[in-house]
Amino acid sequence: MSFREKSAWISFVLIFIFGALWLRNLIRVEFYGLRQDPMKFFFAILLALIVAEISLHIALAIQSPRDARTPKDEREKLIDLKASRIAFYVLMIGAWLSLGTLHLPGSNRLMMAQALMGSILIAVLTRFATQIGLYRRDA
Amino acid sequence: MAKTIVNNIRRLRFDRKEMTQQELADKIGVTRQTVNAIELSKYSPSLEVAFKIADVFGVPLDQVFQYASPTRNKS
Repeated sequence: MSFREKSAWISFVLIFIFGALWLRNLIRVEFYGLRQDPMKFFFAILLALIVAEISLHIALAIQSPRDARTPKDEREKLIDLKASRIAFYVLMIGAWLSLGTLHLPGSNRLMMAQALMGSILIAVLTRFATQIGLYRRDA
Repeated sequence: MAKTIVNNIRRLRFDRKEMTQQELADKIGVTRQTVNAIELSKYSPSLEVAFKIADVFGVPLDQVFQYASPTRNKS
């Protein structure tokens, strides 16, 4: 497995965990009436995500210093572009659907913001999943 | 059968004292995984990288890459 693929796996798994924790907390607050500031929890797990991303990427770079120093070549840049393009469509669909939540009965701006956050997470996960898929296809 | 871009990189590496994919990758400025993808015809390189590969082996471009049936030039 290449350095870039490992990096994409790290980001995918961490963001997946972040998204799962965020969704779990959202459900608990929205549906089970848990008295908790959702933004406080959100920023706490966001900080944990950033720390974990940096730590694991440093560990990966220590394990493969040569690969970490090597800039992305044309194939890797193309994979990034393809993945970003697909993620963009996912984000756009999610953004429009999020705007649509304002028309749901009992909806508010916070609900729309949460829907938008979910769309961003799905788009980012799509990006990393596409990158992994394309790296594996060429392997 | 539909034509595609095939290459002789594996044979050319073998002829150059079994040059490794990593050595070739270092010489042309790409990753080993990209050399592997090119060699297996899973990725068609840019013209610049194609010329760099030909330059490393000291042969004309058409001795490295051909537009032919995939069954040809499997080396």
